[in-house]
Amino acid sequence: MTATAQARPQLPFDRPNVLDIAPLYDVLRREAPLTRVTTPAGDPAWLVTAYAEARQIFGDRRFGRSHPAPREAARISHAAVLDGPSGDYDTEEREHARMRRLLVPAFSAPRMRRLAGRIEELTARCLDDMQAAHDARPGEPVNLHELLAFPLPVLVICELLGVPYADRAHFRQLSERIGLIDGGADARAAMEEFKVYTLGLAEAKRRTPGPDVISDLVAAQAEDPTFTEDELARLAAGLIFAGHETTSTRIDLGVLLLLADLRRRDRFAGDPDAEVGPTVEEILRVTAPGGLGLLRYAHEDVEVGAVTIARGEAVIISSNAANRDASVFADPAEFDPGRRPNAHLAFGHGVHVCVGANLARTELRTVFPALLRRFPGLRLAVDPDDIEIRHNRLTGGVDEVPVTW
Amino acid sequence: MKISADTGVCVASGQCALLLPQVFDQRDEDGVVVLLDERPPPALREAARQAVLGCPSGALRIDED
Repeated sequence: MTATAQARPQLPFDRPNVLDIAPLYDVLRREAPLTRVTTPAGDPAWLVTAYAEARQIFGDRRFGRSHPAPREAARISHAAVLDGPSGDYDTEEREHARMRRLLVPAFSAPRMRRLAGRIEELTARCLDDMQAAHDARPGEPVNLHELLAFPLPVLVICELLGVPYADRAHFRQLSERIGLIDGGADARAAMEEFKVYTLGLAEAKRRTPGPDVISDLVAAQAEDPTFTEDELARLAAGLIFAGHETTSTRIDLGVLLLLADLRRRDRFAGDPDAEVGPTVEEILRVTAPGGLGLLRYAHEDVEVGAVTIARGEAVIISSNAANRDASVFADPAEFDPGRRPNAHLAFGHGVHVCVGANLARTELRTVFPALLRRFPGLRLAVDPDDIEIRHNRLTGGVDEVPVTW
Repeated sequence: MKISADTGVCVASGQCALLLPQVFDQRDEDGVVVLLDERPPPALREAARQAVLGCPSGALRIDED
């Protein structure tokens, strides 16, 4: 390793606990909005820690997910997602536009509002399971991750995509394996298995279409000869992965935040209907799943402030760091649902903004009021500092949130 | 306050329509923003500013009176 490489900080940075981010982000941002870093895979990249520059790069179409010469591209991790370039440099914009066109109607605000009642029913089922676990072993903590934060988004995404809930153990282990930062050959093998699984689903939908997103994708593919089986398989796998891992983690971390200081819990529980909107936005701003960020490659030389990002260079945009930029958010480490406005970057920004943002918001706006209405005395059964973080997963998060009431 | 929406720039994320359905909606066919009320009443103005600032495409604009 060269002297320069040694001098560059390597991602992921050490964080003190699951609710705070690595202090190094603040140190780097004070020096400059963009920093040269070493990726977990050992390659150079730019890391964006400042809000304005993060927003600027998200919104600049000269940055994409593909690379002009993919073999020469900086590698980010040894997972099977967010590992390096994706998509074809020449057709990325067209394919991305097609993907958005297909998915946008399924995740629109009116559709999500119609789904909200169903999400409430599914949440109530999970809360029943929590009560049953509590009754079965009185006095022992209940693992909220296993009984609410994991199953709820899975139940919802299964219904929306048309995926059998009975398959959850299978796609759960595939999702975990493709997202391991040091997964390597096993992560790639898991991605192949995932594609076999989603192609099987697609085949079933061809025979018997349903009112679900995978049936929509299959129907669109039949009309479009450029829409390959591999793209369909990857897109469906990506939707299953992104549709549950990320929201599960936000529920876990949101509960930890609300319960880490009982004044927060009581303020929220005092008037959930009024508090829920701004509380969910603040949970999205403060919680920091994963230790990397979102990935772009420069498609031409681009000046950002004082630096020039050269064509082909990798840029990792840390929304977690940008959301704690003190020049935009006063006392950024403080959890303050009273912030107005709260234009965080939890879902990214620009043309690649998370297509499932409205689904995630609808789930989060449902789950916290329902949880604290059912269990107003809910509290953590352990110190948040003692909760282990899944450092080796792209989506971060935790395996256990022990609670009691 | 007067809001304007550029449907050519909108990326159909629908975040505005989820946040403030009294002011914003989405077209059924492609999710592009529909402005329902370009002059929202005072009670909705703070949320309207949040929606405009949070718009991922920069399609929304506010001109304060």
